[in-house]
Amino acid sequence: MLSYIDKIRETSARLLKDCSVEMVIGFRKGTVPMMNEPHFAKTAEAVDKLVWDSNCGINLANYLTNRQEKIGIIAKGCDSRNIVTHIIENKIKREQLIIIGVPCSGMIDKRKINAMLDGEINDVVEDENNITVKGNDFEKILNKRDVLQQNCAVCIHRNPVIYDELVADLVEEQEGVDRYADVRSIEAMSSEEKWKYFDDLLSNCIRCYACRNACPLCYCPTCFVDESRPQWVGKSQDPTDVRTFHFLRAYHCAGRCTDCGACERACPVGINMRVFTKKLEKDCLELFGWEAGMSADVRPPLDTYKPGDPDDFIK
Amino acid sequence: MEHMGIEPGRLQFSWVSSAESTKFVEVVKEVTEAIKALGPNEHFLKTKAKVA
Amino acid sequence: MKIIKIDKKNWASGLEDLAGSYRLFGPAKEEEFHNFKALDQGVLPDLTCLNTRLSPKSLIYPQSEVMFEYSLDESQEDHHIMKEVDKDYSPRAVIGIRPCDVKAFLLVRKNFDSPEYRDPYWIRAYEATTFVGLACEAPCNTCFCTTAGCGPYHEEGLDLLLMDAGDNFLVKVITDKGEKLLADAGWDTEVNTDEAAKQIEAKKQAAEAKISSFVTADRLKEMDTVELYSAPFWEEVAFACINCGTCTYVCPTCWCFDIQDENRGRSGMRMRNWDSCMYPLFTLHGSGHNPRDTKIQRVRQRFMHKLKYYVEKYDNGIQCVGCGRCVRLCPVNIDIRRVCYMMNSYGTSDNTCAA
Repeated sequence: MLSYIDKIRETSARLLKDCSVEMVIGFRKGTVPMMNEPHFAKTAEAVDKLVWDSNCGINLANYLTNRQEKIGIIAKGCDSRNIVTHIIENKIKREQLIIIGVPCSGMIDKRKINAMLDGEINDVVEDENNITVKGNDFEKILNKRDVLQQNCAVCIHRNPVIYDELVADLVEEQEGVDRYADVRSIEAMSSEEKWKYFDDLLSNCIRCYACRNACPLCYCPTCFVDESRPQWVGKSQDPTDVRTFHFLRAYHCAGRCTDCGACERACPVGINMRVFTKKLEKDCLELFGWEAGMSADVRPPLDTYKPGDPDDFIK
Repeated sequence: MEHMGIEPGRLQFSWVSSAESTKFVEVVKEVTEAIKALGPNEHFLKTKAKVA
Repeated sequence: MKIIKIDKKNWASGLEDLAGSYRLFGPAKEEEFHNFKALDQGVLPDLTCLNTRLSPKSLIYPQSEVMFEYSLDESQEDHHIMKEVDKDYSPRAVIGIRPCDVKAFLLVRKNFDSPEYRDPYWIRAYEATTFVGLACEAPCNTCFCTTAGCGPYHEEGLDLLLMDAGDNFLVKVITDKGEKLLADAGWDTEVNTDEAAKQIEAKKQAAEAKISSFVTADRLKEMDTVELYSAPFWEEVAFACINCGTCTYVCPTCWCFDIQDENRGRSGMRMRNWDSCMYPLFTLHGSGHNPRDTKIQRVRQRFMHKLKYYVEKYDNGIQCVGCGRCVRLCPVNIDIRRVCYMMNSYGTSDNTCAA
């Protein structure tokens, strides 16, 4: 994906120069290995800072919410689906955007790579298929496919679904992927086992809300956990309150989540809270044949009523 | 709710029109019986915050 | 100065002896990372840990802490009285804490133990604790302690400083509290101070030489607050920020909290929870007005507080010990080293950072 960088800069510079957009939102090179920082360029000269590699896992749609200017935005598959969701939910207007589509081959999982190695990582270099990781006394070449973020490994929409420019030819979509093995294994548990599973999963949570804030879907002016009149949920580290936060957050993403993985990636203590949203995503697919963010012209299942909607749960 | 570990049956949905008083009574009876059979809820209860 | 040698063979038995008179805490690994935990009987602190994921500040200042409770149940003797909660302030010892994390307590102390206000919870917990530091031999590449007022062998705030010397630990005795802990553990092999001091000095210099990361903060104190506050770079700094509280919660020197009442039926409690200047709710007034309503204001507040207001108010350096946690854990890679550079060099021609 490194080859995209020139095209990204060239396109961004052109759009800024001819005043089609006032800013381009993309990434700049991070200050630590395997991290990049969301960044904007407002002049054609500033585009030289924009980069692209396998560390651009932050969902940039998050940076569009309620913006008023004309924006060029770099969008991989999941970003583009969240842009569609933003358009549907009136958080940005289609006319404001020039979407610079990036066919994606997946983002790498920093946590996984760290766990595979003993020492500290000083530098990470990548080419099309391999990731070379360097430390003080080691150098290891990893196959990129083995170190993808889990949501990228099971992604079936790597190409942007909506775009005005494209930085490269579309990539082949993954076929025959089993997207929901993890959800099925939870579904197969007894109630007690499920309860325990989520207790363990959330035991490290520090309620920093990075998962919520990294998510482009979470844009409420005041989140229910911050609301104090009435107060819906306690603010302490009490396990019931922590769980309430996580479950309700997930529910609010029902029919909207694109499994971009931003929440899990953002978590400082490595909680895979995607197991909540993925259950809802799976249900939406099975009950309504719905995948979020695929088209700006179709209303989502949870804000429409159809006589054929499944209602088996109502007695 | 079941996915998060609440026992099946503790949460129930029904559609009862204001004209269906008999159905309403039946539903209330059924739900109460079902919940009593399940016994007291053990999860998602907070009597006092468990903190330091 | 007194230096003790502990044969590693006597390490576990000494800790066992200590467990009689102290509650012990130390780094423990859980799946992916280390955190400070209460050490159960016979469990040794994992001294291979470079740096814990979360800072040890919660040992003194828990994320959620009950302050008062009450009951309206008239069968109880002290009903209808808001009373302080009994807590265990018996002696505790933190084994294997890094010098930067201990220095952080001293910075935080400026807030919790000032001539005007003394926070009883923090002070009691702090005073009950003996800090047994572990010198860093292999600092992380995000550590910038040496330019943030401490270092891998820094002693300020410690009661004992432990150094790994192969089959032994060398222990530098810093306070009486530390001396007492050694006596309780039965570690009493004194060594030739001059020789050991030379050895320690050499190790210290080697460790400091390994620090590859730094901040420059020399101009911050003299700079004009309003100019810095109005600097144009805040837009760029704040852009990526998602306003989560990760940086503030993992930071050993962030001290802000919020007080909450939780009532149920006829009893209830008042507790305090960590809060974060990154959250809009942090500054929301009862009137509905919010003086820090936008993200850029909140991001600026965090950095201005750490790197400017604190520096000015206490004349005690920056409110940062260079542990690097926020650098490693920020979901969007906002780097305090880069921001510090931008602030420190503001108004000079050299205003682009390579950090």
